[in-house]
Amino acid sequence: MSRALYTAAPPRTVWESINPLRMIGELSETRYWMYLLLLPSALLITAVVLYPTLYGFQMSFREMRLNRPDVGTDWVFFKHYIRMVNDPIFWLSLRNTAIWVTSSIALEFLIGLTAALALNRNLPGTKLLAVLILLPYFLPNVVAGHMWGLMLDPRLGVINDLLMRVGLLDGYKAWFADPKTAMAAAIIVESWHSFPFFTLLIMAGLKGIPADLYKAADIDGAGPLAQLRLITLPMLKTIIAAAVILRVIGLVNSPDLLLILTSGGPGRSTQVLSLYAFQMAYKDFNFGYAGALSVVMFVLLMGFAWIYVRLSKVNED
Amino acid sequence: MAQTRSSSKLLWDVVAYVIMIGLAIICVFPIIWTFLTSIKVDEDIVTREMVYFPTRFTFDNYVKLWFQSSYPTLVANSLIVTGLTVLICLLTGAIASYSFSRFNFPGRTQLMLGYLVVRMFPAVLMIIPLFIVMRQVGLLDSTVGLAIAYTSFLLPLFVWMLKGFFDSAPKELESAARIDGSTRIGAMLRIVVPIARNGLVATCVFVAIAAWNEYLFALMLTTSQGSRTWPVGLQLMVGEFQLPWGMLAAGGMISILPVVILFAIVQRVMVAGITAGAVKG
Amino acid sequence: MTTRFGRRSILQMGGGLLAASALLPRYAFAQAKTINYWHTFTSQSEQAGLDAVRALFTAAHPDITVIPENIPNPEFMAKITAAVVANTRPSVTMVSSERFQDLRAMGALTDITDRVSGWERRGDFDDSRFASITDDGKVYGVPAFTFVDWIYYRKDWFEEAGIAVPTTLAELHDAAVKLTDPAKGRYGFGLRGGPGGQNPVINMMEAFGSPVLHADGTIGLDRDKAIEGVTFYASLLKDGAAPPSAPNDGFRQIIEGFQTGQTAMIYHHTGSYQDIASKLKPGVEFGTMAIPAGPVTRVARLAYAYNTITKPEDADAAWEWIKFWGEPDAAVAFLEKTGYFPASTVAAQDQRIVGNPMYAAAAETLGFGIPQPSFPGAAGWAESTVLPAFQRVLIGDATPEQAVDEMIAGLAEASQ
Repeated sequence: MSRALYTAAPPRTVWESINPLRMIGELSETRYWMYLLLLPSALLITAVVLYPTLYGFQMSFREMRLNRPDVGTDWVFFKHYIRMVNDPIFWLSLRNTAIWVTSSIALEFLIGLTAALALNRNLPGTKLLAVLILLPYFLPNVVAGHMWGLMLDPRLGVINDLLMRVGLLDGYKAWFADPKTAMAAAIIVESWHSFPFFTLLIMAGLKGIPADLYKAADIDGAGPLAQLRLITLPMLKTIIAAAVILRVIGLVNSPDLLLILTSGGPGRSTQVLSLYAFQMAYKDFNFGYAGALSVVMFVLLMGFAWIYVRLSKVNED
Repeated sequence: MAQTRSSSKLLWDVVAYVIMIGLAIICVFPIIWTFLTSIKVDEDIVTREMVYFPTRFTFDNYVKLWFQSSYPTLVANSLIVTGLTVLICLLTGAIASYSFSRFNFPGRTQLMLGYLVVRMFPAVLMIIPLFIVMRQVGLLDSTVGLAIAYTSFLLPLFVWMLKGFFDSAPKELESAARIDGSTRIGAMLRIVVPIARNGLVATCVFVAIAAWNEYLFALMLTTSQGSRTWPVGLQLMVGEFQLPWGMLAAGGMISILPVVILFAIVQRVMVAGITAGAVKG
Repeated sequence: MTTRFGRRSILQMGGGLLAASALLPRYAFAQAKTINYWHTFTSQSEQAGLDAVRALFTAAHPDITVIPENIPNPEFMAKITAAVVANTRPSVTMVSSERFQDLRAMGALTDITDRVSGWERRGDFDDSRFASITDDGKVYGVPAFTFVDWIYYRKDWFEEAGIAVPTTLAELHDAAVKLTDPAKGRYGFGLRGGPGGQNPVINMMEAFGSPVLHADGTIGLDRDKAIEGVTFYASLLKDGAAPPSAPNDGFRQIIEGFQTGQTAMIYHHTGSYQDIASKLKPGVEFGTMAIPAGPVTRVARLAYAYNTITKPEDADAAWEWIKFWGEPDAAVAFLEKTGYFPASTVAAQDQRIVGNPMYAAAAETLGFGIPQPSFPGAAGWAESTVLPAFQRVLIGDATPEQAVDEMIAGLAEASQ
């Protein structure tokens, strides 16, 4: 009897109403769905980034010198920022950062776009060539830095030897010892390493452009360069904009490659802001000033991203 | 006219080949050179006369590296960290990216920018606070902790890149599914995700590479062999005093190997996906 | 064949475990202790030397396990800083003398004055050995070995040109100029203007009469004398006696330049002896000389590497390990693998050192050598102010006057 009662009871509908899949399905119809989708990533980012960021901000307003406990950790408000205004190394680093970022981006974008356009013709053998061309991006910064360090070494480097054989150089050239060539050499190494980032993204973007557009342009008699300007680039706008922003952030923030190749030398000719902040924190132990430098980098990046997104209108549908 | 077009096409094909082959040589030469260096004997590296094609070969550098570097542990750690990073990004980032791509809601632009802003805070200074947090929650010096730390700057990359792929997937199919009575999540999982599959794969590969190559966080957030990753292990071996060039080159070759294998496997999926995407256009 | 545990046996086991756990902590302390050791050894020979010392230590102290972690110099300060801030310190840390003041000020080091004064081998060490690890009368470490500054020179080239081994810096300059022959690809002096090049610059300034750290403990440069020192040192490049790559040449480049016969002299210390001897014949192709005297004083550094206790909880086991480096057996085993000088006076009398003429210059330097200037911020100032400023002179971007002014300003910033 009790058995019969149980089967007669309506557990099914109850069960169905708490079916997690169904619940999510219903949830997805609510007006908060888009926010719910964002929730996990937002929570994660908040947890991993918010505290360190706030900590970093407050550091920049304090005296924080690990090797000088005698000076304490008092609030000093804008002391570090005022020092920065009068710090010639800061201004030099800022200038170098601008050169480093704009030159690298320009070079990487041009090579990346050219490579993507060439690869996109789908000629025989392209698959293999694509793998080879994309390869540098896969190498760790550490490895890429040391590889080029060996090739550009004044005494044992193959590049000097090749250039001398070709007759472009009379004697060996110390690329990283001459302020005129140190930055250029570093930019070339960086571009070699990172241009495939643009190639890959642009290639993916190119596949998404309807072929009809080009057919129509052909009929109108537009040449390849005109097609590039009128169809390809506008269609790739979003992807290019995203790629540029991501690369700019990467270039501004990461000191690794320059750390391995030049450590900012010779005579600070390759000193960039991220390197300066790194040295300030871990060589001079002045976390307060390093914090202020980082905050300035951050503000500059944010300003750049804001203006850039506005100008390129990425968010317009 | 047809003739000029085909001759112009031929010309452009030749140009394309010149560009591709030229770039391929530039891209591969340093790697080949590194490989040659790794099998040269020291006398052929530290020399006044450049040795292009060594007559003596040695695999000593690899043998030494293998036994001295605990390479297997380091690579296993790198693989675990990379895998975890991709997993976390995939689970939390794909839906966020979908939301940004498909819905227009108040605060969307600001939120998207917010995701980018997160990447902007210089790693140099986030490391110490992050170190303290990781220690408090017991994740310091662990692969999980490192993967979570990587998420802080790779998740935004993931979301932004994937948004581009979602954007290019047509909205019509989804609308059709919705009219047929599918829920939003149903439409997302059944229609959009398969279409953007290749974008997903490509984005994952990017994140995986970035995680594999990361150096600064890995250096600072791990202390023991138990969780140290390969780039850190290699750089620590270089140190200040004489890691011979040959061993350094061997280390470089070894660090490329897993990546090339991964890329070779994934590349087919990527290409297949990209072609399928092109059919749609 | 499965084993069945009765209730009784489980109880017994539980009781046993309880008893064991009551005893365990004390046993664990006395019997099995693991300490981790952060060191800056990286090269093959250094690793071999460390392994040799560890093997001896394990034989003597089977109860203590040492887990070494190599932290190379460029990353060292960043990592130890993070470890101190987050309190994840290693038990024992190897500290070079120029880093001592920064680490002590950070609170990273444990005061071991009492342990050292009660140590039976304290008498093996000259008092001066502890000078660069003592602050305010408190001792923070035990010297493990020492690097003695000296100059490697191409004996064969000097003999061929009939030049005597220089005893003053002026003679060194002349010899460098004479031995330079760009047609042969030969340069007189392998100037280190890249990473690590700051120390010779500071030494030159002191040799010309401008020490950084004065006897009374004050810090400051004598502008005019410092300018003379910088001018002199940079003149090696200006006069063509140093390779044009000098502004970015670091350790690897100067060693390789010397090994491949491109430079006649390099300024380094005893630590690179094995590297040089692996490529050139000692006593035939190359020789070693003590650092020549400057116009005001003769400056050669004795840089001691100390072992310090960085985690007070592990102090007992850590002390066993750091004092073990003072055992003559350990010091000689280490010397055999690396060529690094023992810090203990007793160990330094070993026949392998006294009997080797190549080490004569180092033995001579032990008589007049001085420790590196050490004050909080010294290492950072040297690396991020002195070196770039000197590089700017080398590349013609600044005059020695401007460079010294930059150094003085940086010093004020670091010590304010």
